[in-house]
Amino acid sequence: MPHDTLAHETGFLLPDTVFRTRALIRHNLVLMLREPGPLLSRLLMPLVAVLVFEPLYRAAMPGDRSAGVGQAVTGMLVLFSLLALSIVGTSILTERSWHTWDRLRATPLRPAELLVGKAIPVLAMLLAQQVLVLGFGVVVLGMQVADIRLLALAVAVWSVTLLCVGTALGTLLRSQAAFSAVQDIGSFVSTSLGGALVPLGALPGWARHLAPASPAYWAMSALRGAVAGETSQVLRAVLVLLAIAVVAALLAGWRINRGWGRSTLL
Amino acid sequence: MLIATGLIKSYGGRRALNGFDLTVRPGEIVGLVGHNGAGKTTFVEVVTGLVRPDAGQVTVAGVDALRHRNAARRLVGVAPQDQALYLPATVREHLRLFGSLAGLRARTLRAAIDATADELQLTDVLERPVGQLSGGQKRRTQAACALLPTPAVLLLDEPTVGADPSTRHALLAAVLARAEAGAAVVYTTHYLPELAELDATLAVADAGRVIARGRQADLLAGLPSEVRVGFVDGGPPLHVTTFDPAATLAGVLATGCQPDSVDIRRPGLDDLYQSIEHAQELTSDAA
Repeated sequence: MPHDTLAHETGFLLPDTVFRTRALIRHNLVLMLREPGPLLSRLLMPLVAVLVFEPLYRAAMPGDRSAGVGQAVTGMLVLFSLLALSIVGTSILTERSWHTWDRLRATPLRPAELLVGKAIPVLAMLLAQQVLVLGFGVVVLGMQVADIRLLALAVAVWSVTLLCVGTALGTLLRSQAAFSAVQDIGSFVSTSLGGALVPLGALPGWARHLAPASPAYWAMSALRGAVAGETSQVLRAVLVLLAIAVVAALLAGWRINRGWGRSTLL
Repeated sequence: MLIATGLIKSYGGRRALNGFDLTVRPGEIVGLVGHNGAGKTTFVEVVTGLVRPDAGQVTVAGVDALRHRNAARRLVGVAPQDQALYLPATVREHLRLFGSLAGLRARTLRAAIDATADELQLTDVLERPVGQLSGGQKRRTQAACALLPTPAVLLLDEPTVGADPSTRHALLAAVLARAEAGAAVVYTTHYLPELAELDATLAVADAGRVIARGRQADLLAGLPSEVRVGFVDGGPPLHVTTFDPAATLAGVLATGCQPDSVDIRRPGLDDLYQSIEHAQELTSDAA
């Protein structure tokens, strides 16, 4: 085998890896920005929702203004970040329906480069959405954050979890319609059970028992813990979210490795 | 050089490849022909690493393509059968992406984009989103992504399906140029005249393996032509199967008949398949 080929195979030529990954990231950013509608709606709608619902949450949680503001900001953040799964899933599903995923797999891109090249623009969007909502909460509504590092950790881990779950759904489901159905139902159930729409204390007993099965519950727990400065609560929630992310990533990796061939509805 | 030996690939109980052997030398164009389901596309998917075979070996320019898939992919350009394009992205963005992934940088990449676009008559639409292009322009864009890096092995899976004459002409000229530059080309198609234009050798695939290999003229030489003659007086047309159409016509004219129309049908792919299948049946019956 030629020396440079061996080097490529064993990964010694780092610049090539960086160059290929950068090319794919740039391409995916171009694609995302060429259809800015979904992106803008996912970034701006939560701000509107926070503004509209914040008085309602304050009224529902009297005596503690910060609790009402915190519920409005973190609840809407979790709700709209789950809705942003559509951008993650669609970025995979369009690659499948355009047959470009297999086209990319037929290039010298390594699987890790392909995943990173796809993931970084979407992850940037997820992070931007959460930073925007939290920043809005702090600057406009005066939300108090006890530990900014814990909040950064919670946001980063929740974004990675969303990315992995969205990728798993985008790879496992057979069509855009199936994805939309699963996302609609999943987001609504997870958000409702997780205490993002209605504070956990106001949920019926049976729902409170089921709540820990919802990823949104752990996202809310991590975010609320960070706002309150509860390190152990944040770390526990972050560990659960990471476990969900790992399972989703393994599922996605397994599915991607198999390829789709011609057995697809896309 | 592309060498594939003993490839086997099963999907469930169905064998898509069943001992597929094919060797393509540098500069050679092989027309891989066969009925739908003969294994052509699966073969392309195996060489590009999209599908892992159950058994067999593939070597691309000396690199074991099954053990070192990424290294082999650097040497292979592929235009798949299905359209694989990003509809919102421009032609230039496609060429930049696939050129970059193949390792072309900066000035080399820009020069390759300009040259390939010019070669495939895409210069005028370089800045247009692919979704706004005609079918032929999309075909050429897809082929351009494969041709851009001048690969050692070029796999073109029915690249001219639905293409207009201008697109077909541009594609065939580009393929010929790559072969002249030393690429080993596998060109799957159902159209024999294209392969004649490319001066390609034929590999006939059936039921997951190559059952005949050679020059088109040699493979078709042993097959008869059909001669149909209509007559001025409105008599019943003459329909003759013959190895020598000229002699047959001369014989008809010698009888004093006055032909109204003459139609000579040369043997084609279907005749070749039938002939090979017939020969296989005879062999298995004898066994």
